[in-house]
Amino acid sequence: MENAHITADVVEVSEFIDLAQRYNVQGVPKTVINDRVEFTGALPEPRFVQEVLKALQPKPEQ
Amino acid sequence: MPLLSLEDRQELETLFAQELQDDVTITYFTQRESVLTIPGQECAYCKDTRELLEEVTAISEKLHLQVKDFVSDEQEAQRLGITRIPAFFLQGHARGAVRFFGIPAGYEFSTLIEDLVDVSKGTPALSEKTREALSKVDQDLHIQVFTTPT
Repeated sequence: MENAHITADVVEVSEFIDLAQRYNVQGVPKTVINDRVEFTGALPEPRFVQEVLKALQPKPEQ
Repeated sequence: MPLLSLEDRQELETLFAQELQDDVTITYFTQRESVLTIPGQECAYCKDTRELLEEVTAISEKLHLQVKDFVSDEQEAQRLGITRIPAFFLQGHARGAVRFFGIPAGYEFSTLIEDLVDVSKGTPALSEKTREALSKVDQDLHIQVFTTPT
């Protein structure tokens, strides 16, 4: 909600078993960011942000 | 019979009156409800999700519900990235997009209520540091949180 680039989804996996399989959801909550970064369990806010920022593509060298 | 108890509705009425600022529209995608079910196309929770959203949005004048058909409103579904149903999109003061796939039951009901408040205010309850870090993001980020109804 802070940034127009960010889309946040809440997905109820028991209704969408295909997604549970595709993302190998074995525990909840499981978070997947840009299909690059994933973790299971709730994280404190600063750690969560760290993970979110990890999903960003590195900036090209200038 | 309503899904929300009288106590729940009263509690939400107080919360919404205190917390909601700008209007929030929920765009909900479902399929036509029919007495016949077509194998492979059942949407087990579409009806319950619609009823739940109707009950929640009826509590405050600042909350609006738009019900769309996943098949006949395909273009809008595509624009909002709705690829399966039941699903809905929250739109209000906030930037970014918040979507729910599946019925928001159990803990996810509280998530929905908190998100309605945050989208209405446009400022989520995050620390200054977090907000500063997120404001610098200049690439698209797609965060998916998988849950189960507990």
